[in-house]
Amino acid sequence: MLRFVLARLSQSAITLLLFSVVIFGLARATGDPLTLVLPMVATEEDFANARRYLGLDRPLYAQYVTFVGRAATGDFGTSIRSRRPVVELLRERLPNSLALAAFSMAVSLLIAFPLGVLAAVRRGTALDSGAKVLATLGQSLPTFWVGIVLIEVVAGRLQWLPAGGSGSLAHYILPGFTLGWFVVAGLMRLLRSAMLEVLDAEYVTTARAKGASEVSVVWRHALRNALIPVVTFAGVYFAILVTSAIVVETVFAWPGMGRLAYEAITGRDFPVIQAVVLVTAAIVVTVNFAVDLLYAVIDPRIGLAS
Amino acid sequence: MPVIPVMIIAAFVLLALAAGRLSPADPYAQSLRARLAPPVWAADGSWAHPLGTDRLGRDLLSRIIFGARVSLTAGVVTVLLAGLVGAAVGLLAGYYRGRIGSLLMRLTDATLALPVILLALVLAVTAGPSFVNVVIAIGAILWARYARVVYGEVLALMERDFIAQARLTGCSDRRIILVHLLPNTLPSLLVLLSLQIGYVIIVEASLSFLGAGIPPPTPAWGSMIAEGRDYVASAWWVSFFPGLAILLVVLAFNLVGDWLRDELDPKLHHL
Amino acid sequence: MRATTALLLLLLTATEATGAAAPPAGELTVALSSFANEVLDPALGGHGVKFYLALMFDYLIGVTPDGRLSPELGIATAWEVSPDHRRWTFTLRRDVHFHNGDPLTSADVRFSILRAIGPRSTTGYAGVLRALLDRIETPAPDRVVIVTREPTLVIPPYLSRALATEGMILPKRYIESVGDDEFARKPIGSGPYRFVEQVTGSHVRLAAVPHHWRIGTPRYQTVTFRVIPEESTRMAMVRRGEVDIADVSRDRVREMEQAGFPVRYRDNDSLLHLWWILPWDRTPVRDRRVREALNLAIDRREIAATIFGGKAEPAAIPFGLTWAFRDVKLTVPDEWRYPFDPARARALLAEAGYRDGFPITIFAYQLPALPEGREMAEALAGYWQKIGVRPTLVPVDYPAFRKQWVDRTAPGAVGYYNLPNRDWIGTYTLLDKFAHTPSRPTDTVADPEIDRMLDAILTTTDRTKINELMRQAFARLRRDHDGIPLVYLHTPYVTSKRISRWDPGSVMLDLNIDGLVAER
Repeated sequence: MLRFVLARLSQSAITLLLFSVVIFGLARATGDPLTLVLPMVATEEDFANARRYLGLDRPLYAQYVTFVGRAATGDFGTSIRSRRPVVELLRERLPNSLALAAFSMAVSLLIAFPLGVLAAVRRGTALDSGAKVLATLGQSLPTFWVGIVLIEVVAGRLQWLPAGGSGSLAHYILPGFTLGWFVVAGLMRLLRSAMLEVLDAEYVTTARAKGASEVSVVWRHALRNALIPVVTFAGVYFAILVTSAIVVETVFAWPGMGRLAYEAITGRDFPVIQAVVLVTAAIVVTVNFAVDLLYAVIDPRIGLAS
Repeated sequence: MPVIPVMIIAAFVLLALAAGRLSPADPYAQSLRARLAPPVWAADGSWAHPLGTDRLGRDLLSRIIFGARVSLTAGVVTVLLAGLVGAAVGLLAGYYRGRIGSLLMRLTDATLALPVILLALVLAVTAGPSFVNVVIAIGAILWARYARVVYGEVLALMERDFIAQARLTGCSDRRIILVHLLPNTLPSLLVLLSLQIGYVIIVEASLSFLGAGIPPPTPAWGSMIAEGRDYVASAWWVSFFPGLAILLVVLAFNLVGDWLRDELDPKLHHL
Repeated sequence: MRATTALLLLLLTATEATGAAAPPAGELTVALSSFANEVLDPALGGHGVKFYLALMFDYLIGVTPDGRLSPELGIATAWEVSPDHRRWTFTLRRDVHFHNGDPLTSADVRFSILRAIGPRSTTGYAGVLRALLDRIETPAPDRVVIVTREPTLVIPPYLSRALATEGMILPKRYIESVGDDEFARKPIGSGPYRFVEQVTGSHVRLAAVPHHWRIGTPRYQTVTFRVIPEESTRMAMVRRGEVDIADVSRDRVREMEQAGFPVRYRDNDSLLHLWWILPWDRTPVRDRRVREALNLAIDRREIAATIFGGKAEPAAIPFGLTWAFRDVKLTVPDEWRYPFDPARARALLAEAGYRDGFPITIFAYQLPALPEGREMAEALAGYWQKIGVRPTLVPVDYPAFRKQWVDRTAPGAVGYYNLPNRDWIGTYTLLDKFAHTPSRPTDTVADPEIDRMLDAILTTTDRTKINELMRQAFARLRRDHDGIPLVYLHTPYVTSKRISRWDPGSVMLDLNIDGLVAER
């Protein structure tokens, strides 16, 4: 067990180091951030002056060494656009992202559960196909369009819910639904096939033979066991939600990591691009690691070696 | 077999192939004076533009028909590219294992950990948005999923007797990989391909929203919705019809993929 | 003692009875699609963040909402220049205090200007000031003398609210004790509102001081600036009453007006100007007939009426900013206005030897306050196609275009910018950047005659002569079609129903929130 954990940890560290090179290079390939920081009338001397002050005139390898050296100690440098320590920006945004992802996850589970169970129990019927189509709908529309239609109708016309920004619980509803609906299909499918597998399993057949009611079979025996893969994969979906929220955060003016990343990329804010990509990648790596570990603990049939 | 989804896909493929004949107007022809004209059934609609016009007065129906060509091509080409690279990496890593194998799989895992849209956005901003760059940017991240799936399959296959036999009878590595391993991974690949065509179309739309999708004036459904989003309240048809097209096609591909998975490879339930 | 208290009380009740201002109350919320770089330190700001910084800080020279320098609205209550135009003496307002209680003196003014041109600065006009300034003297706490190397007229406007942030007065003692970085996080100024909090990507919140010399007793207790990038979201927030002021696209103005929300305009806010990337000597656009043809092929009225929702007017002169016209007394002759004449455009192309047209690249991008950017570029391509030119759209974002422009890697290709309106000095700075060949990679006009005119203006201090030279420069730019002046843009802002009176003013990148929060 310990060997497995250590091996995975060192692999993760190498993965992240690999990233740091890729993202360092990519970020710099996007162009010159000063074009956006300095005004239209700035002279070339102004550009040279700012480049020198920000250390952007140093050779690339030197910049990279500084970046990695500092990142290892949790210091991601200073944002070129806002000139604040990147760590501060992350501290402001990360909790918002996690909160929105958690809310979306809850929404998504709330929809996926009844649909998944229904589809499995009524397998092959119109209800099954109906549930599948309903779940897949969320995955078949661009989130920005769903979000904007919701904003125009629910916030703009009906005025029931706030359109954007964060603050109260009500602010979570529209972005949470938009984001959550997108992953319903995956969760529902997972639950449905896990249920199907369990419903065919021996102990369920035994329970049926012993005269247990269908409701009890479904809820007590099947669902409980079908939950295992759902719970483990909920982690993966959570990571997906955190990292794919960029569009939803932009539409709903949600001050999270996705929006920070978008601003950083369009603003050529190298230190922030690097930090956001590394941190989101670290989240995914950590979640995957935790899921593997959890899976191994829950289901001993899966060897740790794989 | 899901008849309706297959028919939907067939219909759109037909539209894409015969776009030049079926489209009532030039999808690029602008007329600012006719901008944002409503669909034919609205009070001041006309048969000149059955589904209305966009913000530059271009015929929406024609753009959606030509858009089928662009968006379907983008979807298919991207997943094929990703599938090709992914399958190659998975086969090689699974067959050779050792140092090469573990290096390739490290790379795969690293790519899987990257946020798709974020990286595609960086790539698109770096290279400038174009059809080719969008395909490459999305493909550059999607291949890892194929690699993972194929790798897993290959590992399982390698334990099987027929591979050992093939080795004993002196088959070359190339022959084992292409003749014995690849065909056995095809069902999983096919399932993944069909499921991801829709995903690619959606990702392209999201990139368009962020200003890094297939660039204008090319009619791609994603960029048509993105351009029409400011008119959701005042001229709903501009984003609604391309949105409907995306919805139908992506839904159809997802349902077909679902069905394929149930038929071919039920183990893949978490994809 | 008791008597004094009684007297004070009496005075207080008396003023209340006569209707003195109520204490600040409530919240004013401004939602904007972008905050530029979201900084709180004026030295890092450039123009982009003036609209909220101007509430936190005072300028050395104030300006009226329509952009004229005013001794009533800035820290300087009077200024004069020596006959050789090299010594500028400013008299400062007394009894102005920073939010931490420190008095504002000439030492702060000197410190602020030096900091604005220091190495940390990324403001817009630091370069010019750096080259121009010789020394700054502080003979008395209420007196500052700025000595320049060359005779100049630009000192007051450059240190005023009319341009960027160089003229904002910062607290010397506070910055020296806490350091630049801490100041950039928790800024202190002397303006009517003090800094409360910032969440990047979300909002900046300010709170009123009890009383301020510039506006009296502020009307609102808090002013919050929120970043809401998506148009639909911003409009829904206005409809729900979450927002008092928001920028609105010209396309949605009518919808919001019909819903009963007042819309106010900044008239002639900017000139949408297009130019060709130099060097053009191997491209068709080196020929003035080709440049004229490209100008004549565009139906400016149609573009203004459709894409810009009627909130724009055709423009006629390259770099022709209307405030500069007012300053240098130029009336635009009718025959300078470009007609929409595709037939003549085709004829000109044929005459120049391009009967079959030629390929041309148009870079297409959105800019702040120009959500219609890409649409406009697509429309432009449509017009040019109709006269046989073969345009290719290259959708990029502005930094990517700028690189091609400055590196001159796409000669003959077209780019654009919505140039904010400015006075003759601002326009001169603009021309120096866009039309002055020597040592300017940003030059867009290859004309030695224009270079000579600009050089002459720089060394002249006689306004009549300057006006004459500026008028000549405009005439020549128009005669040679040195660019495509497209339209003047009016920028709309939608407000909540409770905002009854507000003049968004016309100062560059400043929304005159002063006018809203001032005591009435």
